[in-house]
Amino acid sequence: MPAPVLIKPDREFRNRLIASGGEDLKKCFQCATCSVVCEVSGASQPFPRKEMIWAQWGMKDRLLGDVDIWRCHQCNDCSQRCPRGARPGDVMAAIRREAILHYSAPRWLGNIVSQPRLLPLLLLVPCILLVLAAWARAPLETFLGGSYTPNRIIISYWSQLPQWLLIAFFAPFLSLVAVVMILGVMRFWRDLKARDREAGFIGQRRSLAASIRLAARSILLHEDFDRCTSEHSRMNSHRLVLFGFLGLIVVDLWVLTARFNPLLRGAFAYPFNFWSPWKILANLAGAAMLIGCTLMVRNLARAGRSGALFAGTWFDWMFLALALAAVLTGFACEILHYLRVDPFRYAAYIIHLATVFALLVLLPYSKFAHMIYRATAMVYAAHTGRQSQGGLRDSE
Amino acid sequence: MADEKKNVAVFLCRGCDIGASLDVEALEKVAAEERCVGLCRSHSFLCCDEGVAQIKEAVQSGVASLVIAGCSGRFHSQTFSFASCFVERVNLRELVVWSHEPHTEDTQMLAEDNLRMGIARALKAEIREPAKIAAQRTLLVVGGGPSGMAAAREASRAGYQVVLVEKQAELGGWLRSCKRQFPKNAPYRDLEAIDLESWILQLEGDPNIEIHRSAAIRSISGQPGQFEVELDVNDSTIRASVGAIVQATGWRPYDASRLGHLGYGRSPDVITNVEMESLVATGQIRCPSDGRPAKRIAFVQCAGSRDADHLPYCSAVCCRVSLKQALWARELDPEIEAYIFYKDIRTPAQYEDFYRRAQEDPGISLMKGDVISVTTAGGRGANAPQVNVENTPLGPSIQVEADLVVLATGMVPVAADGEAIRRVRDARAVIDRGQPGPQLDGARQLVTELGHHEGTDLLHLGYRQGPDLPVLPSGFPDSHFICFPYETRRTGIYAAGCMRAPNDIEGCISDAEGAVLKAIQCVELTSRGAALHPRWGDLSFLDFHMQRCTLCKRCTEECPFGSLDEDDKGTPLPNPGRCRRCGICLGACPERIISFGDYSIDVVSSMIKAVHIPDEFGEKPRLLILACENDALPALEAAGIARLRYSPFVRVIPVRCLGAVNVIWIADALACGFDGILLLGCKSGDDYQCHFIRGSELMGTRSENIRQKLVQLALEEQRVRIEQIALSEYHRLPALIDEFAAQIDDIGLNPFKG
Repeated sequence: MPAPVLIKPDREFRNRLIASGGEDLKKCFQCATCSVVCEVSGASQPFPRKEMIWAQWGMKDRLLGDVDIWRCHQCNDCSQRCPRGARPGDVMAAIRREAILHYSAPRWLGNIVSQPRLLPLLLLVPCILLVLAAWARAPLETFLGGSYTPNRIIISYWSQLPQWLLIAFFAPFLSLVAVVMILGVMRFWRDLKARDREAGFIGQRRSLAASIRLAARSILLHEDFDRCTSEHSRMNSHRLVLFGFLGLIVVDLWVLTARFNPLLRGAFAYPFNFWSPWKILANLAGAAMLIGCTLMVRNLARAGRSGALFAGTWFDWMFLALALAAVLTGFACEILHYLRVDPFRYAAYIIHLATVFALLVLLPYSKFAHMIYRATAMVYAAHTGRQSQGGLRDSE
Repeated sequence: MADEKKNVAVFLCRGCDIGASLDVEALEKVAAEERCVGLCRSHSFLCCDEGVAQIKEAVQSGVASLVIAGCSGRFHSQTFSFASCFVERVNLRELVVWSHEPHTEDTQMLAEDNLRMGIARALKAEIREPAKIAAQRTLLVVGGGPSGMAAAREASRAGYQVVLVEKQAELGGWLRSCKRQFPKNAPYRDLEAIDLESWILQLEGDPNIEIHRSAAIRSISGQPGQFEVELDVNDSTIRASVGAIVQATGWRPYDASRLGHLGYGRSPDVITNVEMESLVATGQIRCPSDGRPAKRIAFVQCAGSRDADHLPYCSAVCCRVSLKQALWARELDPEIEAYIFYKDIRTPAQYEDFYRRAQEDPGISLMKGDVISVTTAGGRGANAPQVNVENTPLGPSIQVEADLVVLATGMVPVAADGEAIRRVRDARAVIDRGQPGPQLDGARQLVTELGHHEGTDLLHLGYRQGPDLPVLPSGFPDSHFICFPYETRRTGIYAAGCMRAPNDIEGCISDAEGAVLKAIQCVELTSRGAALHPRWGDLSFLDFHMQRCTLCKRCTEECPFGSLDEDDKGTPLPNPGRCRRCGICLGACPERIISFGDYSIDVVSSMIKAVHIPDEFGEKPRLLILACENDALPALEAAGIARLRYSPFVRVIPVRCLGAVNVIWIADALACGFDGILLLGCKSGDDYQCHFIRGSELMGTRSENIRQKLVQLALEEQRVRIEQIALSEYHRLPALIDEFAAQIDDIGLNPFKG
């Protein structure tokens, strides 16, 4: 018999879970139907039953360092089968929200994201910053050497916001985001290991490289989404959003690095013409994201009305709304720009930049962070030899 | 002689396959051969109006006894019941045509023997004037808690007088210390107030109810219908005559001082649920140790319950009580966190909703696990107890700190073990006589073992078998509760409320209603001279031929219901009102001086002798089955209804109970040439099914006598076998009977034939 573990229930933590989507968590009476029906859970240390009682007893440390909350894709098979209506899938989502807010410093920024009334502020701040940047362009250019013009590439969209300024504006913030994320992932990884040591979990370990490969394949192929039975259509919307997002990231990286690329000529040079392969990729990716996000909104709204499977919380809605706003304003910019509708095309561009800014800066603090933590957790799960109920696909 | 008057009428029914499977004319001839039979008729459907009219005609013409051969006596019992006329039902359907090959010699012989046995019984049986008792229509209710109060109220509503006795100065029992209760009404979510006062006022204003507070029973004597009660009330003696008694003496909490491992007595902050009830009623929950408000309250369910070392049973209400106290505490102070550690949450029926209500409260956390100890954490002056729990969903071994620990202790029935009290008293008498010998040593040992029963008397019954009800090892009164709730092993005394079984208030009230109805039924039936459960309405009664009694006391010792007392010399004193007509004394009596009008040594012996035993050359063995009519006989009939086939060589005689089988019948059967005897009874043991509690168990102990009888006759022991069977096991019977028949075949035929 191992030494007794002192349990100190954290009622604040539990109450936060209850307040942010886990309002039914107290209904669980530990029958384990959820763990049995979950296709992703493994045979050893199955979830989400254990997470449910940890949540009831406010066991913050166990939950935050729990790899399984991230293995859950909230397909809600468990919530549908739960005989008590405890909705384990939603509780897991609420726990993930707490984990994101816990690992992403600074905490106050996370708190802002979690409050609906501060959203206008979130959008207003980048708008003001961008306007300020546009206003400060001329003195800055003078300060930097008389008539600073970027070599080779001419920025013609809006001369007040040349690309060098945008890079100068975005880069520091994004670097900060990257630092926050890296620190968060490192703390998360440490906690995952600590939890396994505490629980005495020993699995058949894989190499890190193999684990990353396995996790990447699982993420790209949506293998876990595919196991879901009650909300299988979520696989399609998520696939569209994920691939659309990846496409846009690739195009953006290309554009951002373009000025340092000596090979860039012709159709590959920025700005692209409409039939440039990059432009086509960007438009397709944008369309994919638009369709995916719309499907997600429909899912959330439909479920919310009937009070059934998946109603979503502010945390879900805000991320989705920002992503959708970024795509919509992007397309609006493009169309207004082609039509040369002044001055709306400039306003649309500012708003687009503001939403993208908000989306990216809030990455560590919003539901967006699931991308990073879930990927980390899936690598960790593969690394420590955790397997799904189906098991076959990752048993190689 | 009766047989010369030819006053037995035989009616044969040809319906239900009987006419199609048997030679009924041959059966009529068999009946006509009997000298006593004056009338023999058959009818295609005897249970129709025409058939019944024919029988009525015969009854009016003055026949003393009727033999109706057809279906089982358990069917059409009202149709074939005729006043002042003994009716013997011969089973030709379930036991003959439905369970044996039609149109065969063996089946026909079986039917003929059944008819002969029936005629033999009809000839010997007599209907005697029932032993009516002038019964008091007053009930004594012992205990003024919710059960007793409900019993008094219900009895009064039924028009009965009630004498209600309460030992405390006030009515109400435990309800007095209970200010709020868990919900009794839909939606079963919110705590409810208790209005005890108006209930008490209602009883006090009831002219039918005579309430004695601060009272104790000095003595009860007599029998149902005529109990004489003496009460000690405030230094005076009050006498009352009552017809029946409802005992509702309630419960006391399990002695928590035995729960030292759970911290009771070691930390003042570990209390019982009974103590918590008063604490929470004060409106402020403070730690008894230092008076600081308790913010973390741990409830330990099944504290000393469902535990082989303490109370082996579940006390039914503790789960709901803890949920109630937790909700109440949270209502008083929302800062309070309640932790409930349970083996299983038992909230039956709609109380599931109450459980959900508590579960949904964010401040109430429940966890399954085994609480192995409650320790007091040392250091830094902190006195907070720690609850140590094993096998939890949070880990194999966890600790939780609490300011206050509430032990949900169980209920111990307030009932005295009358049999143990009597044995101690008898042992004391032996010690007082002081004659040295093994008896003295045994008596001393008994006093050490059972001495704690002394002075626990509640009812002070003047019964030979002890001053209180016989109880089970758990302390609850013994009875065949599955079939006959509220019954006890003392006829006319009914158990209600928590002394019968752990109950909530609603359960106590419905218990009280049931017990009162039983008590009223007892008074009414007793006044008609009729038996109670399970031989409901039986008007026969015991007759003792006292001149031949050898004062062996077996009847007074073995009666499961304590119906016989003794005078100073040891002569049995029958109390017909207490008798359930099981016949266990008849089975026990070595002098065979005990009989009923329709069930006696002679009646059954005559039935045995009526069977035609083929000679040793016929190769047709005969097996006698003495089947208990409560379970074994219905099981045999069920086998017939299911059309299961078994050996046609068996001859079945129903007996009132396996305990009502006298060994002489076995000797008679063997002497007549029966090759084997199968005794079919109910299950005995801890979860007995015997309707007369101890009948089949007694047959087990008497089997030694049977073995000796067989040795005496130089016969094989295997010729007599005792089997226990439940009604639901009827499908086992054919294999069992055929296997016994095969065994007898192997042994060979009885040498005493012919």
